[in-house]
Amino acid sequence: MNGENTFQKNYEALISRELLAAWVEGFKENFRLIGPAGGKGEAEFREVFSFNEINLDYQSTMLPPGKTFLLKPVEEILSFNITPGGPVAEEPPLPDRKRILFGVHACDTHAILYLDKVFLGVFPDPFYRARRENTFIFSLNCKTVSGLCFCHLVGTGPFLKAQSGYDVLLTDMGSEFLVELKSVRAKKIFSLEGRPPEGRDLEKKKELELELLKNFRKDFKADGLREVFLSRPDHPVLKETAEGRCLSCGNCVMVCPTCFCHDIYDEAGVSLARIKRMRRWDACQDYFFAKVHGGNFREERQARLRQFVFHKLDYEGQFGVKGTVGCGRCIRWCPTGIDLTEIAKEMMK
Amino acid sequence: MPFFSGEKRKPRAGFFKFSCCTGCGFELAYFQRSLEDTLKSFDFTFFRLAYSSGALEGPFDLALVEGTVTEPHQAVELKRIRENSAVLYAVGSCAIAGGIPAIKAGGRELEIEKRVYQKKLYRLTSMRPSVLSDYVKVDGCVRGCPPGRRDLEEALVSILLHRRPEFIEYSVCVECKLRGNICLLVDEGLPCMGPVTNAGCGALCPACHRACYSCFGLMSRANIPALKNKFRELGLSGEEIERRFTLFDALRLKK
Ligand code: SF4
Ligand code: SF4
Ligand code: SF4
Ligand code: SF4
Repeated sequence: MNGENTFQKNYEALISRELLAAWVEGFKENFRLIGPAGGKGEAEFREVFSFNEINLDYQSTMLPPGKTFLLKPVEEILSFNITPGGPVAEEPPLPDRKRILFGVHACDTHAILYLDKVFLGVFPDPFYRARRENTFIFSLNCKTVSGLCFCHLVGTGPFLKAQSGYDVLLTDMGSEFLVELKSVRAKKIFSLEGRPPEGRDLEKKKELELELLKNFRKDFKADGLREVFLSRPDHPVLKETAEGRCLSCGNCVMVCPTCFCHDIYDEAGVSLARIKRMRRWDACQDYFFAKVHGGNFREERQARLRQFVFHKLDYEGQFGVKGTVGCGRCIRWCPTGIDLTEIAKEMMK
Repeated sequence: MPFFSGEKRKPRAGFFKFSCCTGCGFELAYFQRSLEDTLKSFDFTFFRLAYSSGALEGPFDLALVEGTVTEPHQAVELKRIRENSAVLYAVGSCAIAGGIPAIKAGGRELEIEKRVYQKKLYRLTSMRPSVLSDYVKVDGCVRGCPPGRRDLEEALVSILLHRRPEFIEYSVCVECKLRGNICLLVDEGLPCMGPVTNAGCGALCPACHRACYSCFGLMSRANIPALKNKFRELGLSGEEIERRFTLFDALRLKK
């Protein structure tokens, strides 16, 4: 019993901010460090070269960490060299840099678990998989809540409850950080020294979470939406919002951490010597997204807006979970402030 | 070269210009890394910026046409180019949407001429601006002011591979997000035209902290009233809003 306890304690520790900094700095030798940096305007996830650059108090970022660093915005996935003997295909080398994605909030961690279902599912994507395997995810429980967050309504935050799929969980406890090693690989390669958490520490963690839960502003019922969506797919709020405010600009889905749609296209130079096959994030709000031979199956703007709202709040049949993780990015970065939770509320009336 | 199967000759191309700043032509002439390949793959029988001589007559496998039609003789010339060309692409905002030469579409021809030239206006043959598609069928639009490299290349490659071109058709915002720019409209309340503007520039202006002024022209199915409303909320006057929307698209938006 005792022995087991000691063993356990190595995987959880309370350490000071200075020790956390030293611990993370120590990884720089073997890992590229990516974290939320900057903070005057909007923090953004980017490569950092020292722990000091990391903004541990950031609230949100415009682009989500998972989608940006695991599924790159644009990447080459294949190329053909046109030779006298015919085309020769060449696959770009798989990414093999070891990286730490540091400070990923609970919602964004869930978004990565969602992307896993898409890109590691029936047809695993070799590029995503290579990056995923080489990336250690250090999640960070939230300290503040924005007026647009609604993770509390969809079970993805503000404290991370998922037990696997990421490597380390950090909680800012005030004077110290609670560090929990979560994955087998993290337990294997990272060693942790510090005060093992006691009952009162875990009590305090709970209190912090309860305090945080009081600050949420968003409120809508996420359950029972399916019936409403099915029975009223042409609810007037969709048309009114689409025609009155939606610009079809695609910002909402570009910043969405779970939007996985991408376009695959070829880029050929005039010499035709080398043709590159590219993949880039795509947006279902574009008119041409749904254009296929014979027509466009989302001709009307409201059909495109509905696709987004339904895919995020319903569609649980697709991967067993909702498409939204409640990060509020689509609302924050929509030029006209279109809010999917308000649309849902209106439909539920 | 996988041009028309069985044919060994290079595709014959012409680059033509009507009323405009010739920026699109320059863009092709300075097609840096691709100029040599372009001239190797195509037989440019008419391209004033590259060769001083050239035959206007055709036939052409590809006609690239820049500029707005603002003179009667240009309309005649355009029809002749069309009749002698297998494929005709409109190049640049002037040819596609009217662009800068079409700013005058907002007023009466004679009154505008008076403001610029004062006297002997009967000698001017300039007329109300028209886009190419008012006169002839256009097979594709290479958007931009001037066009981005990607769509210009696509125009040429489509001929070499004998397939339908796939030009960029989505908002500047999409490129802006791919680039990771913090949104100027949302974050700073700048009147950015990106949400209604066709991409292709790589969100150049927002990346330089400038609101997009729609030089690539409106994307198709843009929700113009919704962005105008947004600009009104930002405190822009009706005139300021009109100017933004008619800088490159006066023909489409002013009737
Ligand atoms: S960001 Fe807003 S305006 Fe743009 S497509 Fe999305 S909902 Fe429409
Ligand atoms: S909302 Fe649109 S862009 Fe996002 S995953 Fe669904 S279909 Fe794709
Ligand atoms: S800065 Fe302009 S182009 Fe970029 S996302 Fe914002 S509105 Fe769109
Ligand atoms: S004004 Fe807009 S469309 Fe034109 S180059 Fe700048 S960003 Fe691109």
